[in-house]
Amino acid sequence: MAILQELASFTGPDWEQVGAVTLPVIERLHQAEAKMAEKWERLAEFTIANAPGNERRAMQQVVNYLRGLPISTSLFERIKTAVAETTMNAMEHGNEYSTENPVELQVLTSEDSVMIRVTDHGGGKSLPEYVQPDIEAKLEGLQSPRGWGLFLVQSMVDELRVQTDQTHRIVELIFRLEG
Amino acid sequence: MSKANITLNVRQTKPDTSVIDIQGEINAFAENVLMDAYTQATSNGARNILLNFEKLDYMNSSGIGLLVTLLIRAQRQKQRLIAFGLNEHYRQIFELTRLNEAITIYPGEEEALAMAV
Repeated sequence: MAILQELASFTGPDWEQVGAVTLPVIERLHQAEAKMAEKWERLAEFTIANAPGNERRAMQQVVNYLRGLPISTSLFERIKTAVAETTMNAMEHGNEYSTENPVELQVLTSEDSVMIRVTDHGGGKSLPEYVQPDIEAKLEGLQSPRGWGLFLVQSMVDELRVQTDQTHRIVELIFRLEG
Repeated sequence: MSKANITLNVRQTKPDTSVIDIQGEINAFAENVLMDAYTQATSNGARNILLNFEKLDYMNSSGIGLLVTLLIRAQRQKQRLIAFGLNEHYRQIFELTRLNEAITIYPGEEEALAMAV
């Protein structure tokens, strides 16, 4: 049913079915659905207290849990940067350095991917508008020199998912394993 | 962990060139020591400031923001920032952020010094 709905949105109301065209579309949608249902195995979960600098602890623990998996040095570096930046953001903006609610991290693996799920208590808050950092604008004083965090995360991951409810904000960092 | 974990050493290699050797972490806590080192590096009139990243352990988005601040200061004072010793990951980050368009990157000190004229 989901496939038909996706297909309807893809084709629009005035479509005419032509087998040779439609079947590959349905095949791609099947693959997309299979991806959504990817089986994740939880490797570890831990919490990090909200304190400036603690993102390095999060980063190091994630690396320790992932040792033994076929992960190249360059992929490890991408994972480390994305985890550190996401944890910093969760401590600062999500949890506002609360002493009560730590940042929760889960490390999950599937057949061909690694996922780091970072949960904070920033649900139900409106996020500041994202401004794409631009080095020229920053050098001209038109943007703050800061504001690189989300840009770095987006640049490091293969896929980024964000879910929120009234209490929590969950950020999922997904990396495809090479080979 | 909430303090600067960085050591900076400033040396003047030529009358117009200084090197800042960076060891440790460039994050929000590094702001004061980095700005002080820059002041020291330029106090004798150096126009080329070489940043030595060979012993950089970690740099986060706040650290990138600090480099942008340093760059703004350098451009206002008509000085030039040059980087060397970046590992592959941080070299990629310089490219992603386009910092490499404003801070020329060389593999090592010898190449960087040769170009600092």
